[in-house]
Amino acid sequence: MDLAAGLISGFKVSLQYINLFYCFIGVLIGTLVGVLPGIGPTGAMAMLLPLTFSLSPTAAIIMLAGIYYGSMYGGSTTSILVNIPGEPSSVVTCLDGYQMAKKGRAGPALGISAMGSFIGGTISLIIMMFLAIPLAKAALKFGPPEFFSLICASMTLLTYLAKGSMIKAIIMAVLGLILSTVGIDLVTGSPRFAFGVPSLLDGIGFVPLTMGLFGISEVLINIEGPLERTIFESKISKIKNLLPNFNDWKKSFGPILRGSILGFFLGILPGGGGILSSFVSYSIEKRISKKPESFGQGAIEGVAGPETANNAGAGGAFIPLLVLGIPPNVVLAFLLGAFIIHGIAPGPTLISQHPQIFWGVTASMYIGNIMLLVLNLPLIGLWVKVLKIPYRILMPLIILFCIIGSYSLSYNIADVVIMFFFGIIGYILRKLNYEVAPLVMAFILGPILETTFRQSLIMSDGKFSIFLERPISAVALLIAIFLLVSSGFSIFKKAKTKIIE
Amino acid sequence: METYHIIFWIGFSLLVMILSYKLDLGNFHSPGPGLMPFLLGVTFLLVSTYHFVRSFVKAGDRNGDEKIEFNKAKLWKLSIVMGSLLVYLLFFETVGYLITTFFLLVILFRSAGSKKWSLIVIGSALVVLITYFGFNSLGLRLPKGIFQWR
Repeated sequence: MDLAAGLISGFKVSLQYINLFYCFIGVLIGTLVGVLPGIGPTGAMAMLLPLTFSLSPTAAIIMLAGIYYGSMYGGSTTSILVNIPGEPSSVVTCLDGYQMAKKGRAGPALGISAMGSFIGGTISLIIMMFLAIPLAKAALKFGPPEFFSLICASMTLLTYLAKGSMIKAIIMAVLGLILSTVGIDLVTGSPRFAFGVPSLLDGIGFVPLTMGLFGISEVLINIEGPLERTIFESKISKIKNLLPNFNDWKKSFGPILRGSILGFFLGILPGGGGILSSFVSYSIEKRISKKPESFGQGAIEGVAGPETANNAGAGGAFIPLLVLGIPPNVVLAFLLGAFIIHGIAPGPTLISQHPQIFWGVTASMYIGNIMLLVLNLPLIGLWVKVLKIPYRILMPLIILFCIIGSYSLSYNIADVVIMFFFGIIGYILRKLNYEVAPLVMAFILGPILETTFRQSLIMSDGKFSIFLERPISAVALLIAIFLLVSSGFSIFKKAKTKIIE
Repeated sequence: METYHIIFWIGFSLLVMILSYKLDLGNFHSPGPGLMPFLLGVTFLLVSTYHFVRSFVKAGDRNGDEKIEFNKAKLWKLSIVMGSLLVYLLFFETVGYLITTFFLLVILFRSAGSKKWSLIVIGSALVVLITYFGFNSLGLRLPKGIFQWR
């Protein structure tokens, strides 16, 4: 199926009423969780996953993908209006977006943010379509050693880019891999680490684990902290002139274009997605600007570039997931889990074996981007009201939806017990400054890593040299080793800190 | 504090290695079910040991940010929430969703800082009824417990 035919068939799928409806629900919930600090897209996807069991895989993935890229839109609204980033990828938008709002220019800031997001999202989809088919064809030649090494490299890069200590991130990743081995070994049929508990024979469910580590632990942390969020009121009671003027567009054109391309390619990198893209875009725009001193004072370029880049990054992040079956970040790792639950394995064969899903989801993202534009500009007042919902009301509801979501997976109280257990573990880990994202990512990728490792050893008759004899595998492993070794040298540490900061 | 949790990780990695060894490691030609967890256990041990050694070497540089601060009042609130969740789990299936969740919500709303009892009780009852009938209509069966006659 060529590009045009694929896209036409994709629009036929995504324009079906049921898929349109779930696309709308996805982007609506995405915007909502983007606006509300404390509930990320992963938590929202985990809570809603059981509701997708009765849907077709296409509708389910369309909705879950909508939550992911929708959250990128919502995050910017709160950054601009109240100086609170709804999502980590919108942190940098606070710098100039809020300053613009304070100067009475909230409208153009929101407008350029939504337009930039739309343009970035659309350009990244176009690049994704052109790259996906050739990349999938190339990936078909990959064998177990290549996949093993790529997963190793991707997890190493994720731990390298972790906010805190890399060693702690590695500990979390290895812990996630160990947890993924719980349950019946698929090759030999022997139970592993189940300790006679029937519920553990199928392994630890990734939904209870994710809900516990992200949802419950977040609530427990917030019980300790201040329960009321401070909302800084600015001159936003009446937001007028959402459309940026000619001068705004002139200033934003370059940042939007650069943000789209840069965001897409940074989004492909493991650990990338919207966060890295938005930060790098801001640094570049500031560096090449003729007036770098205006950044942080309400420069529209400081909103246009990062907001475009984070949406383009969200689009780029779909490439490794859909083409290789290797998610670059934790939200898409969750989406990989959802694919598997619905009986579909993303990877090089996805486009040929499930074209309706690949093209349907791709086309739905175009439609979703238009829906987001409509949702985020005229309904801005509604999102401001949502932002004011106090945490004392949200907190019990988050716990309740986690319980329902977890229980309804298999109507087994053991899933709820596992969720609470990991909620407490997540709480302790966060208190000890461990990041839980590498754990979840490794937990989801663990079974693929183990299968490809064992297959590689069987293929090579037990020789580890197979990982170095094949060029792609060797390069991926060398990258992983380089990152591990370089993290010990101060010059690289400084570079890493610079990237993260 | 840092040292204690690294020691825990070292102990954990040793436990993983012992349990994996008992599972049958197989060999590299034909890997057994225990091989991967065993190798992961070894990796975990190496990383934890490195972390342990480094934490000693850098002991002088360490500042206060590794300390965990607990506020007694907040800790009490946390214990109430955790305790109520535990009791909730014990009675969830036998007593049923409606009653257990109602009481859980009352405790959670109160712990989260809601002041008015009347609002807490009415709010909890409404949320429980809406979610029960809402999710039932979506095909999700929540435990009826003592309301089996319904």
